[in-house]
Amino acid sequence: MKIKSRLNRFTAMDWISFGVLTVWGLCILYPFYNALLVSLVPQTVYVRSPFMLYPPEITLDSYKYMLDGNRVFNGYKNTLFIMLFGLPYNMIITVLTAYGLSRKSFPGKKFFVLLFYFTMFFSGGLIPLYLTMKNLGLTNTIWSVILLMGCDTFYLILTRTYFETLPESLMESARLDGCSELRILGQIVIPLSMPIIATILLFYAVARWNEWFYAMLFIRDGDKIPLQVVLRNIVFQEYATVATSANVDRGNAFNDGIKMAAIMLTMAPIMVFYPFLQKHFVKGMLIGAVKD
Amino acid sequence: MQKILPQNRFKRLLREVYKARYIYLILLPGLIFYITFMYVPMSGIIIAFKKYNARLGIFGSQWIGFQNYDFMFRDSNFYNALWNTFVISFGRILFQFPAPILMALLFNELRMPRYKRVLQTIYTFPHFLSWVMISGILINFLGDTGALNAMITAMGGQKQGFLSNSSLFRVLLFITDIWKSAGWSSIIYMAAISAISIEQYEAARLDGASRPQMIWYITLPSIKSTIMVMLLLQVGNVMNAGFDQIFNISNPAVRSATDILDTYIYRITFEGATDFGFSTAVGLFKSVINFAMLVTFDCISKAVGERGLFY
Repeated sequence: MKIKSRLNRFTAMDWISFGVLTVWGLCILYPFYNALLVSLVPQTVYVRSPFMLYPPEITLDSYKYMLDGNRVFNGYKNTLFIMLFGLPYNMIITVLTAYGLSRKSFPGKKFFVLLFYFTMFFSGGLIPLYLTMKNLGLTNTIWSVILLMGCDTFYLILTRTYFETLPESLMESARLDGCSELRILGQIVIPLSMPIIATILLFYAVARWNEWFYAMLFIRDGDKIPLQVVLRNIVFQEYATVATSANVDRGNAFNDGIKMAAIMLTMAPIMVFYPFLQKHFVKGMLIGAVKD
Repeated sequence: MQKILPQNRFKRLLREVYKARYIYLILLPGLIFYITFMYVPMSGIIIAFKKYNARLGIFGSQWIGFQNYDFMFRDSNFYNALWNTFVISFGRILFQFPAPILMALLFNELRMPRYKRVLQTIYTFPHFLSWVMISGILINFLGDTGALNAMITAMGGQKQGFLSNSSLFRVLLFITDIWKSAGWSSIIYMAAISAISIEQYEAARLDGASRPQMIWYITLPSIKSTIMVMLLLQVGNVMNAGFDQIFNISNPAVRSATDILDTYIYRITFEGATDFGFSTAVGLFKSVINFAMLVTFDCISKAVGERGLFY
């Protein structure tokens, strides 16, 4: 009885963990909340004080301004295009390669494993990559980003590790029944590996959504750039030039409000889906982390 | 035992290769991808030792030996970037590395499961946003006319140039990176903590141990190996001081304090007069040291009985 009452008491340790974690949680939340408020208030309010707990006045002018022009819309379109072709491409390469590398033994297995894993330790660097893309004729096309980000070696390892935990006897008996490797992969391995496949797909989706660096390097034309680069151009634009196109009426919209509105529009899908998908991300991370 | 003749061995190999033909077929797409986008660029490294001429191409350009490196070792900007890379990386190990461990310990002490889940969603969320978005928000928040300065002045304090003061800016790099990714990193430690058997704590409680004592004598020693691997991984990665963050959040006013090798390489490649041979040489310098560090710390990790850094 005595122990139980001690368990239920709110002790100093409870207060410390509760207090510190809550304060830091608010520190994480507030800048997002403030950015949301900045995107929603008219300039007069913002100039009076950018520090707000609630919006004294609300206007959607910043959003209207952002959506009137075609920049954000175009960015969305390009990013979705990249994901539409990029994600299946990611999954095909990752799953096939992971399955190949997870086979028990075949001549040259060590060589292949080394070939793929070595890229985690060493890369050619920026300029050789740039020149290669140029030679392939991929610069200034949306395909540069789609094709270049085909396989993340870290996710390849996660998938391979998962495949290796599947019972070999299952595949062996299918093989004895005359099943081809591709059919074993498609009808036995993949259905048994849905957790890892879903997780990897999510990670790739986030990576595709957030990709900005290669797009910035390889795509020059304004109408081909994905959303993140559109956002980057807007956020880092100098004063008074935040424009979606020349003749859109700015109304009450002002630079910082427009910038924050653009960020909110870029963040929205992640913000909407993340709370529901969080546990899948966590699960995926743990599959890789607690291998042994 | 039957002696295997060389030609028999060869035949057997061929038979095994034939038996595994579908595995090779399955590996083919990945192979094409890795060769095209990883190994072909790697071969381009040779221009580090050439005077690159766009007309002559990678292989036609003239060899100049180590001339690019002579140039690099005389460039004061290079030394500045190298120094910053080390300072910022070690600052991250010193200040950022403990943050997720601390968070995991605190989360473990929090006994409100539903609230815990809400907090965890908040803590891990910023990890899934790009530095482009995060920088946009933080630059607005921390700027001279931003909300944080308004808050400070409202409470009677002095305005701070968070984004323009070089000595503050490095600290800001650490804090903003903790802000963005420590919550996510803490998950690995929480998983390690959840693997500790509850009996250890029960026994300690019966012996009258306090909760801080249990953290110190049970929890921390139990996750020591996880901490070790993560630390070695971070030390192995010192050459990567955080390009995405610095490239997006830094500004010319604080460049001398934040210019790392990666931003330096980017700058000499794409801004101003570019010499591809020279920038490749700097990039190769970084890659080689990075490679040596990773292999060294991977070996150390395995030598002390842990798993390798990546697999």
